Amino acid sequence: MQALNNLTTQIAGMVLDRMKQRDQSFWLVFSPILSVILGLLGSGLMMLLLGQNPITVYYNLFRYAFRDIYNIADIFAKSTPLILTGLAFGFAFRASLFNIGAQGQFYVGALAAVVCALHLEGAPPILALLACFLASATAGGLWAAFIGYTKARFNANEFLVSMMSTYIAIAIMNFLIRGPLKEAKGEYPQTDVIPANTWLPPLIPHTRLHWGFLLAVAVALIAYFILWKTTLGYKIRVVGHNQVAARYAGINTKRIFVIVFSISGAFAGLAGFTEINGMQHMLIEGFNPQIGAEGIGIAILGNAHPIGILLAALLFGALKVGGNLITQTSEIPASIIGIIEGFVMLAVILSYYLQNKIRTWRSKKALKSREGVTL
Amino acid sequence: MNIFTGLLGSALRMSTPLMLGALAEVFVERTGVMNIAIEGIFLIGAWAGFVGAYLSGNLLVGFLAAAIIGMAYGAVYGLITVKFKQHQIVTGTAMNILALGLTSYLYRVLFGAPLLPLTVEPLMDLPIPMLSKIPLIGKALFSQNALTYLAILLMPVGYWVLFRTRVGLIIRSTGENPEAVDAAGINVERVRFLAVLASSALDGVAGAFYSIGFLGMFTSGIIGGRGWIAFALCFLGNWNPVGVMLGALIFGLADALSVVFLTSGIKIVPHEFLIALPYILTIIATISRRRFNVPAYLGKPYVKESG
Repeated sequence: MQALNNLTTQIAGMVLDRMKQRDQSFWLVFSPILSVILGLLGSGLMMLLLGQNPITVYYNLFRYAFRDIYNIADIFAKSTPLILTGLAFGFAFRASLFNIGAQGQFYVGALAAVVCALHLEGAPPILALLACFLASATAGGLWAAFIGYTKARFNANEFLVSMMSTYIAIAIMNFLIRGPLKEAKGEYPQTDVIPANTWLPPLIPHTRLHWGFLLAVAVALIAYFILWKTTLGYKIRVVGHNQVAARYAGINTKRIFVIVFSISGAFAGLAGFTEINGMQHMLIEGFNPQIGAEGIGIAILGNAHPIGILLAALLFGALKVGGNLITQTSEIPASIIGIIEGFVMLAVILSYYLQNKIRTWRSKKALKSREGVTL
Repeated sequence: MNIFTGLLGSALRMSTPLMLGALAEVFVERTGVMNIAIEGIFLIGAWAGFVGAYLSGNLLVGFLAAAIIGMAYGAVYGLITVKFKQHQIVTGTAMNILALGLTSYLYRVLFGAPLLPLTVEPLMDLPIPMLSKIPLIGKALFSQNALTYLAILLMPVGYWVLFRTRVGLIIRSTGENPEAVDAAGINVERVRFLAVLASSALDGVAGAFYSIGFLGMFTSGIIGGRGWIAFALCFLGNWNPVGVMLGALIFGLADALSVVFLTSGIKIVPHEFLIALPYILTIIATISRRRFNVPAYLGKPYVKESG
């Protein structure tokens, strides 16, 4: 009898585990989709305020985004820096660190790329691009390493320091663009156009999609590789789970802080490289002012997983391309894109709450039925 | 008017919203919740204040609207972080992005796209008889607008409430030892939620100071990180209204200096450096100060043990 009881408990346990696994993968796919739908519904209500039919607007948005090869390529082009800033937040998030300063690291990387490019007229394109690539990654990495250092050395609040460092980066950028780096014409706060040999070549001819996209995908794979296939990544994730336990296990958490922030900052810095050398070909004051915040949204929507971030960034890219065309062709102002992004993020957070709620409810029920079996 | 008086006066004026926002943050963080949505609520407050004042022609209505709508926006944040126990930094970031979109969208819904920015008459200075005639400091200290007087008054009041009253004791205990508060029969979540509401209302008023207390108009970049300064001041002031007031005055001075330098054309340091100064100061202060009085349960949701 005892043996039978044990057996039934074992089977019940196995079934439960299997259910849990299926449950998790189900939520992993279902909850982002649900969140996006909820976010679109919320923003649709806002469109009604302007007397616009949300269904028509969304239909047009979708139609514009996928209208022709140029627009489809643009989705990938727009998602390129978003993948990188999303990775910047997501990578640090895996170590339970908050890099809120991707915006600043992006600007620092962009500055490094543009300075590098402006000085490399006539250099062989491969070398020039490599130099810009290294310059922006190093600049972003060092800028962020400082944040990690203040946390490691002074136990400073990394959230606060990374937030403040963004505004300092903006001030430095504005100073340089209005002063030493101002275009030769001296008219607008922007730099000169960088020489053509430093442009990232197009991936598909006659579109804006450039090789930077492949770089971003490669970086996502590298992030995945570091986090799940290396000892360093293992340590990073242990620190993320429990800092105290990590210290007891002999992990130098302070070193991890600095390393994680350097890598995270390098990702954001590279977004500056792809935007300068691939997209804008010059540095304009205050460009892409929301890219850091959008990266946070993308990382959350993508569950801080490199592949999830890739997909979430593509979605945001499509929203941007379709959204921009919508605002040009209808009464809907451009701020609707921010509203959609904000609502989607809130919906993701609410779906986490819902998941937990359902999970505890299920396990309570399962516990009851399991007790019934053993009695 | 000499430059000292002018500088002191405008330092006080610029520190007004910082004092209000940081005081609000002190109270909410003392209960254990960081109001990360502060930047967004500042912006919402600036928007609501302008809309209220413009439509009614009355600044008081504007400030009232800012408080109410700021509180409503904060209620969403409180619901998600306190009641649903979701991540405060993530939720706050989402609320801040949303605020940026919502305010400029709703401005467009209400007013279309006017060629010239719409304006209201901002708060007037209310010179206090006699006192404002004191040489050198009189005009700076006693010829301010109503909100600045209110902010300065609120700091000692805030100190008194926090450290000398029962409400203050409950607030502080909720952040330091929620179990004990719970054991005393006080609902921890309710205390925290109410604190989020109160702080958001004050944040809304602080934000409205930029639109209708000072500039007389609304633009989407009007806050531009000043909510974060108030947030940082709460840390730097060591979760104490006195420290907050000191910090706010220093940052107000930095703000005032950058305006004076810009308008008078004095070029000692680049204008951008002065803009960045408060942020640099914040980092220096964060790393140079070793002992912070961080509320023990700051940022941690309270999970009640079920019997």
